[in-house]
Amino acid sequence: MSARRISGLWLIAPVTVLLVVGFLAPTAIMGMLSLRNYSGMSGIGDSWTLENYIGVITDPFYLTIIGRTLLLGVIVTALCLLLAFPLALFILRSGPKVQTASILLVIFPLLCNIVVRSFGWMVLLAPRGIINEALIGAGLIAHPLPLMYDLTGVTIGLVQIFLPFMVLLLIPALQNIPADVEAAALILKASRLRTFFTITLPLALPGILTGSILVFVLSISALVTPRMLGGPTYRVMATQIYEEFMTNLNWPGGAALAFVLTVIALALIWGANRIGNRLTRGISGGNS
Amino acid sequence: MMPRRNSVWIVLAAAAVLIFMNAPTVVVVLASFTKTTYLTVPPKGWTLHWFAEVLGDDGYLRAIGTSLWLACAATILSLIFGTMVSYALHHRMVPGREAILSLVMAPLVFPAVVIGVALLQFVSLMGLRGNTLILVLAHVLITLPYVVRSAMASLVGINPQIEEAAQVLGARSFTAFRLVTLPLLKPGLMAGCVFSFVTSLDNVPVTIFLLTPRQSTLPVKIYAAVDQGVDPSIAAASTLLIAGAAVALIIAQWRTSLTRFF
Repeated sequence: MSARRISGLWLIAPVTVLLVVGFLAPTAIMGMLSLRNYSGMSGIGDSWTLENYIGVITDPFYLTIIGRTLLLGVIVTALCLLLAFPLALFILRSGPKVQTASILLVIFPLLCNIVVRSFGWMVLLAPRGIINEALIGAGLIAHPLPLMYDLTGVTIGLVQIFLPFMVLLLIPALQNIPADVEAAALILKASRLRTFFTITLPLALPGILTGSILVFVLSISALVTPRMLGGPTYRVMATQIYEEFMTNLNWPGGAALAFVLTVIALALIWGANRIGNRLTRGISGGNS
Repeated sequence: MMPRRNSVWIVLAAAAVLIFMNAPTVVVVLASFTKTTYLTVPPKGWTLHWFAEVLGDDGYLRAIGTSLWLACAATILSLIFGTMVSYALHHRMVPGREAILSLVMAPLVFPAVVIGVALLQFVSLMGLRGNTLILVLAHVLITLPYVVRSAMASLVGINPQIEEAAQVLGARSFTAFRLVTLPLLKPGLMAGCVFSFVTSLDNVPVTIFLLTPRQSTLPVKIYAAVDQGVDPSIAAASTLLIAGAAVALIIAQWRTSLTRFF
C-alpha cells in the first residue's frame, strides 16, 4: 500500500468509525428490532415476525396517520412553491441592496430555532391567541376560529419553516435561465403569462423539483412543529413514532413505522434524482 | 435572467411572504417584554422581568450551558473530522469516494426522528443513555454534512499545485496543508462552521431521545416548558435563542458575506 493510501485511510478513519457506530449499526439493530414480536403484556419477544409491518400497513389507525402525513406533505410543498415563486422573482429582479436585505430576511428565520418558531405560531394561532383575539376585538367573529390542533395550524407552521429552503433553491434555478430566451418569447408577442408558463416554468423545473422533494421529505419527517401545533391528539408519522418509543414503549412497532417513513423519504429522493437527471439531459440535449 | 423591473403585484406578494416568514419570531420577541403574566402583542408595558426570571432559573441556565458547550464541541470535532475526510475524498486518496460521501450526507436525507430513535435503542442496549460523549458524537453526525459540503466546495477552487510547491520547497505534508491549503479553505469552512453550530444548537428531534430527564438543552427545555403551560418567560428564553441566531447571521454576513452564496 502506498504512503498516500495509508494517510488517506487515517484521514477517513474517525468519520468511518463514527458512521459505523453512530449510524449504520443503530439502523441495522433497529431493522432487526422491527422484526421482533411484541405484546403489551410481555414486551419485546424473541421470535421473528413481519406482523409489525403488516400492522402498520393494514391497521386503519396507522393508515389514517400515514395518509394524513402524506397529504400534509403535498399541501405544504404546494403552498411553499406558490409563496416562494414571487419572492424568488422579486429578489432576482431587485438591485443589489434590496437583494441582500431580502436574502438576509429569508435566511434569518432559517437560523431561528424550530421550537421557537412553532411557539411563535402557537402565540398567534391559539384559541385565545393574537389573531383570534384581534378578530373578536374587531367584532368580525363571535367565537375563536380553530386555527390550531388540526391540519391548518400544522400546515401554517411547516410552510413557514420550510419556505426559506424553497426560496433559496428557486433563486439559482431561475437565475440559470438565459435572459434571451424569455426576451425572444416576448418579442415574438407571447404574453407575460404565456412566457412564464411555457418558457420560465419548464426551464426552472429541475430546481422546482429539487426544492419540492426537499420540502416534502422534511415535512413528512417533521416532529416538533406537528407536535406543538397539532397537539397531542392530531398525530403524524413522526409524532406517532415518538409516542411508540417514549409513551407506549412498543419499540418494534415504532421501529417498523420509522422504516416505512424512511423508505418513503429515500424512495422519493432516489426517484427525483433519476427524473432530475433525465430533465437536465433533455434540456442540454435540446440545446446542442 | 433578464433584470426586468418588478411589477407592483410581485413587490406586494414578496413583501407579504417576507412578513409571513418573520412574523412568529417578531411576535415572540415583542411578547417577551410584556408586563402582563400572559403573552400579548403589542406588549402591555415594557419590562426585563421575564429575562431576569429565565437567567435566574437554574434549569434554564444549565440548559443554556449544555446547549452552548455541546454546539461548540460538535462544531470543532465536525470541522476537524469533516476537513480530514473532505481532503482525502477530494484528492482521491481512498477508494469508494461516492459511497463514503453519500454515507456522510445520509443524516441530511434520513428523517431526523428515525436517527433519534435508532440511537435511542442503540444507547439503551449499551446502557449508555444520558452519556455525554454519545450526545456529542450524535451532534457531530448531524453537523458533519454541512462542514463536508462546504469543505468539498472550497477544495475544488484550490490549485493543488500550490500545496505541492510548498512540499517541493521542503515543507512536510501537514505543514504544507496548514500553511497553504487551510488559509484558502477558511472562508468556505466559516460558512460550514456557522451552519454546523446553528444546527447543533437547534436540534430537537435527535437530542430529545438521548437526554435523561435530568438533562436538557435550551430548545428541548423550551419545548417541554410549552407543554406545561405558556407564559412570557418562555418567550424570553426563546428571544435569547433568536438573539443568538441574529448574532450568527451578522457574523456570517460580515466574515463571508453569506448572501453571495445564493
